[in-house]
Amino acid sequence: MTYILVAGNPAVTELVAAAAKLGSPVTAVVVGSQAVVDAVNAPGVDAITWLGDPGAAGAEAYASQVAQLVAAAPGVVFGGRHPGERVLLGAAAAALDAPVITSASEIATDGGSTVVTHGVYGGIAVETLAFSGPVAFLLEGGAPLAGGGSAAVQQVAGAPAGVTVTGLEPPATKAANIAGAARVVGVGRGLKSADDLPLVQGLADAFQAELACSRPVAEGLEWLPKDRYVGISGTQIAPDVYLMVGISGQIQHMGGCKGAKVIVAVNSDKDAPVASEADYVLTGDLYALVPALTAALQGAS
Amino acid sequence: MSFQLTDEQELIRSSVREFAEAEVAPIAAEIDKNHRPPLETVPKLGEMGLLGMLIPEEYGGTHMDTISFAIAIEELSRVCGTTGVLVEAHSSLCTWPIVHYGNEEQKQKYLPALATGEAIGAFGLTEPNAGSDAGATTTTAVRDGDDFILNGQKVFITNGGFAKTFVVMARSTDAPGVKGVSAFIVERDTPGFTIGDPEQKMGIRGSSTTPLFFSDVRIPAANLLGKEGQGFEIAMQTLDGGRTGIAAQALGIAQGAFEAAVKYAKERVQFGKPIASLQAIQWMIADMGVDIEAGRALVYQAADAEWKGQPHSIPSAIAKLYCGEMATRVTGKAIQVHGGVGYTESYPVERMYRDAKITEIYEGTSEIQRLVIARSYLR
Amino acid sequence: MKIVVTYQWAPDPAEASVGSDGKVDFSRAKSAVSDYDATAIQVGRALADATGAALIGVSVGGPAAGTPVATKAALSRGLDEVLVVADPTLEGAGTLTTAKVIAAVVKSLGDVALVVTGDSSIDTGARMTAPVLGGLLGWPVVTDAKSVELAGAAITVSRVLPEGVQTLSVAGPAVIASSADASKPKAPGMKDVMAAAKKPAAVKAPADFGIALAPEGAVKSTGKVSGSSRKGVRIDTSDPAAAAAELVSALRTTGVLS
Repeated sequence: MTYILVAGNPAVTELVAAAAKLGSPVTAVVVGSQAVVDAVNAPGVDAITWLGDPGAAGAEAYASQVAQLVAAAPGVVFGGRHPGERVLLGAAAAALDAPVITSASEIATDGGSTVVTHGVYGGIAVETLAFSGPVAFLLEGGAPLAGGGSAAVQQVAGAPAGVTVTGLEPPATKAANIAGAARVVGVGRGLKSADDLPLVQGLADAFQAELACSRPVAEGLEWLPKDRYVGISGTQIAPDVYLMVGISGQIQHMGGCKGAKVIVAVNSDKDAPVASEADYVLTGDLYALVPALTAALQGAS
Repeated sequence: MSFQLTDEQELIRSSVREFAEAEVAPIAAEIDKNHRPPLETVPKLGEMGLLGMLIPEEYGGTHMDTISFAIAIEELSRVCGTTGVLVEAHSSLCTWPIVHYGNEEQKQKYLPALATGEAIGAFGLTEPNAGSDAGATTTTAVRDGDDFILNGQKVFITNGGFAKTFVVMARSTDAPGVKGVSAFIVERDTPGFTIGDPEQKMGIRGSSTTPLFFSDVRIPAANLLGKEGQGFEIAMQTLDGGRTGIAAQALGIAQGAFEAAVKYAKERVQFGKPIASLQAIQWMIADMGVDIEAGRALVYQAADAEWKGQPHSIPSAIAKLYCGEMATRVTGKAIQVHGGVGYTESYPVERMYRDAKITEIYEGTSEIQRLVIARSYLR
Repeated sequence: MKIVVTYQWAPDPAEASVGSDGKVDFSRAKSAVSDYDATAIQVGRALADATGAALIGVSVGGPAAGTPVATKAALSRGLDEVLVVADPTLEGAGTLTTAKVIAAVVKSLGDVALVVTGDSSIDTGARMTAPVLGGLLGWPVVTDAKSVELAGAAITVSRVLPEGVQTLSVAGPAVIASSADASKPKAPGMKDVMAAAKKPAAVKAPADFGIALAPEGAVKSTGKVSGSSRKGVRIDTSDPAAAAAELVSALRTTGVLS
């Protein structure tokens, strides 16, 4: 048996894809509304165990129940990066005595064992491991599923415990969502002053992109809030295009944007690390290039 | 003999480095550019316990050993020579003589505020015509009942622009030369005591270096530090510790420049390779590293001697002489490794070079150190 | 009542070097209490001060984690005492193993109202220690906590999610992972460093808790991260407007722009 754990959000396409490759029947364990169940009922999912709509309980409240369910018929488990998903995955790993892999690049079965290649120490090296028992994988969820499957839905009475959501205050300003953005413009220390941020924001606006940054810009200089920094220890992004302005491309940063389909680098140093990690490299003064790019992108959709 | 720092000394290094990176480094270039004292850092230094390092705990200090003190000065100076000398002069030149020569009443009155940074300290010895020659002091202190009345002028006083507590040398008796000099504690807002405009300096530009003017400044006799006529001894003892502190400042400046040079050499690519792969650069890096390690050993040795109560006048002179000149050499090479950009304000090494130069001059020039050292060998 | 804060004595991978065989060399990297854990310790300190609880640091790692400089470094950040399980087999231990050892320590301490962890581990970037630890203890887990309050067994957490600021009520004892910005770590002051030497630090082995460690998986191979698969097209920037136009056209070709 292979499991994917769903906590209120059907954005689990990548989990299903990875789970389906292992050859065992895939069971989605869902904590969420009817709509979530309908969306998750998609090709690749063989069965759904639905614990019901959590209502005021947080998805976290179902951790013990999910762990018991999974432990009753042990198998490999997949979960996403969102807070509730991580808690369900951790509970399952604890119940299954399963090692937790958070940066797998390849997952396969070989005889009775699961063979995994994953990045170690934030992706600076890779390692291939074989596991004879269950493994818990944390993966990027990917796009939402959109139903169209024919899995049998087994409804189990939910038994939430321990965690209750008591309030939700919508954000005063729109929270940065660089993780889910299709286009991201990142700015680094190549920018001389915080006063010049509007220049880059203008580019992001023209490109209909979210503004992101390198760690020093958020944590040392505090020019932008922390939820906008990309990196191994910051937010991991996977946009269609990541336009990097004045970011040299240290490994800590590049580890956070591996998933970008296209990377464009605008940097003054033609030999900066980013030059070998980008699809398009524009070497030159960002103060000349950014206005030109803004003008060219204005109106381009 | 041990060449190993204690756990506490290692932790003091990592804590002060963390503090310096977070609170001092971000403004180092700006205060230099604007010749601005980093006053906003003072309460933070106090909270960290970095202003009371030479003050006993009963007066609010953190009473650290002198190697730890040297490490703290080194780490502050690694990112900002100005902040290094602010703390060094405050501690070595003002808190130290009050701790060692002050009476109980003086200690209770002045040390707690100095330990927190509520008051910053300064030391008034140098005069227009008495630089390295302390015996030529002409500022006078004339007894008048329960008071002394001070007249005269001091120059190049570190922290002068904002210090609240000054230890001042003045001639109070007719005894000739050094014998007539006494030490006094003078509070900033004493009538007749005025602070002149800060010098516009080549380096340590955020450090406030000012003249002091005394015009019938009446201070209570209770502010006489030590005994009458003991001023020269106090000044010399104070400067023995101060020299080690300045050596630590020079060491830190050199270390900062060295790290900048190593980083740049690894990043900068020329002819298809990082310049660190070129032997010309490697030799400079090796020489800088050796120079710094030698200086560090001398600083810690002098600090250790002082902490153990051993004679440290000569070790501190040796450390000061070596580290001052070493810092100028190392920061100069750091600019050379950077090439053209090293000469610009875009990189920190030109500031470090300017900051380093003063360590060959203040608290006893290299020439005075050589004189003292030579005498010790030739006597 | 006790509050436990977990911390890691680990080098920053940014300072590591990787050999051609993919072996990671940390010999030049300096270990420290990671920023994430320093943040968690400050969160724990505030809770302990508010409730009168004892604040106990728990760490799991290789022999270096049990050295006096490591325990004093942790204590100087505001912990009342530390308990470290240090063993060569725990060097670079995985999340499951680490969580098992922490769980055993927490059980042995008794009277623990709350375990606070950092957001993420500095060396692996994993954010799973708190979830697995909670699973092993059978305690509720909430991650990404920006603020935490403790009143008896009732724990109130608030956290910033994309949909807004969420508040949760958690029945203690529980495991709470603090967000990276739950507090701004301050460098330990000189008094903190000097006081650290006088606080209790216990260093134990896994066997002291009856834990037998097994490797989490069989290593088949290690490798360097393979070369970039990016295109690396250099666009001539001598005319910025023309360069911008060329980029826009290239993005159209790749389908990023329609």
